[in-house]
Amino acid sequence: MKNVFNKLFALNLFSLMLLLTFSVSAQNDGDALLGVWEPSNGKARVKIDKIGDKYFGRIVWLKEPKDPNTGEPKVDKNNPDVSLRSTPLRGYRMLKDFVFKGDGVWEEGTIYDPENGNNYSCIIKLKDDNTLDIRGFIGIQTFGRTDEWKRLIIKKKG
Amino acid sequence: MSKLVLLFTFNILLLVAPSFLKAQETEEDDFSQYDDLDFADEAAKRYATSKVIGLSPQKLILMGYDAQGPYKIQSGAVNNTPAETMNTTLTHGFQLAANIPVYSRNSLIVQLGFNYQGTTFASTKSTYENDFNQVLANATHHTLGLNTTIFKPFNEKNFLIFQGSMDLNGDYELTKLQNPKYLKYSAAAIYGWKSSDRLMWGIGFAQTYRAGELNYIPIVLYNWTHPSLKWGAEVLAPARAHLRYTINPRNMLFFGYELQGQSYRLNNGNNVNWNFDNLELRRGEIRVRAIYERQVVGFIWLGVQAGYRIGYSFNVDHVADGKDFFRGSFGDDPYAFENKIGNPLYFNFTISLVSP
Repeated sequence: MKNVFNKLFALNLFSLMLLLTFSVSAQNDGDALLGVWEPSNGKARVKIDKIGDKYFGRIVWLKEPKDPNTGEPKVDKNNPDVSLRSTPLRGYRMLKDFVFKGDGVWEEGTIYDPENGNNYSCIIKLKDDNTLDIRGFIGIQTFGRTDEWKRLIIKKKG
Repeated sequence: MSKLVLLFTFNILLLVAPSFLKAQETEEDDFSQYDDLDFADEAAKRYATSKVIGLSPQKLILMGYDAQGPYKIQSGAVNNTPAETMNTTLTHGFQLAANIPVYSRNSLIVQLGFNYQGTTFASTKSTYENDFNQVLANATHHTLGLNTTIFKPFNEKNFLIFQGSMDLNGDYELTKLQNPKYLKYSAAAIYGWKSSDRLMWGIGFAQTYRAGELNYIPIVLYNWTHPSLKWGAEVLAPARAHLRYTINPRNMLFFGYELQGQSYRLNNGNNVNWNFDNLELRRGEIRVRAIYERQVVGFIWLGVQAGYRIGYSFNVDHVADGKDFFRGSFGDDPYAFENKIGNPLYFNFTISLVSP
């Protein structure tokens, strides 16, 4: 009985190592999306995190953090849902539900534009380690617009 | 057996723990840590974008209908037929346009477009003594065109815009297009400055047919939004200039004008047996107007505009084989014949798919 258990243990350990190897590899590829990114307009910075198996992006910095009319921190005042219009923009989750599909592509997600309150279907492609192509589109990808986001890192001293 | 269960539980915990821990981390950010960041790629640059905050949405696809109320066309004598007045009842037609971004990088944006506009002159009579009136009554004027817009920023402030188009204008049938040698080419180049996220402006030069005949003119771009986001200006003068009032980002009002026009080749069907075969109608008009645009559902927008259509040019030139000439403000080349046109109220309705 002990012999059988030892064999099972060895087999399990081997399969676990295999699983971990594949899991870490897949995670590493998909996790290339993690980090802080700047959209082309430079008006915001978005931090992309992973929650479960999906990727989400929050606004963590705004070039103009306060509403020039009220002097208060900007809120999501253009949201079609009135109950969400007092939600602060900083911290707002504007990228949602992206799933890594391999080959530097994340799909099935949406992107929110706080300037008009619209949600768009979105696909993300890793162009190189530090550049993302973010394509928001309507229905089919032809009817869309691609924005290029650049990766940000902590400023080098000196 | 219980040891096996323990092993599997341990395995599963090992696999799910990293993503669980990562999810916990995300809620604990101190936002000030994102103030001092640099591009990871040291060669990366920031560029001016092609829009300002609050600008009206760009239309990817547009369908519309345009209708002008009754007015008089006082046509000059032509081809041994006398001067005569045509009383139009309705000048109307459909329009279709598409404008698709085909290349989009921070350092270069290229868009390609297509447009069609039809104009039919319905009047109180079907036959006229004046040959020009008969030509107008016989056929619809079509414009079929392809265009491109290129936006090239050099840095965060300076940019260049190039627009080019080629249009086939005339009273041809859509099943039998007129010869491509009658294509009209327009182009504009603007060098601009993006002073802030709310203001971009520029100056440039254009070859245009907007006043009906070939012209070379200086142009000014001015897109501006007030900090309140309620008011703004969208100007590409002298082609168009509008003051914008934003009720909310899904409801907008515009007040201003647009200069519209083209040079239309006449009598493509040879329905009138006149002595010259290369006449072009220099149709140019100023539309002083109010426009209301609103999102109806999803990304579908409706636009309604009404205003006064002021005839700027309705004269006819002889253009041999489509080889156009530049008369300019000071040129004295005579027209083949001259016409006067009344100024009616007009109405326009559009439905469009707007860009993200």
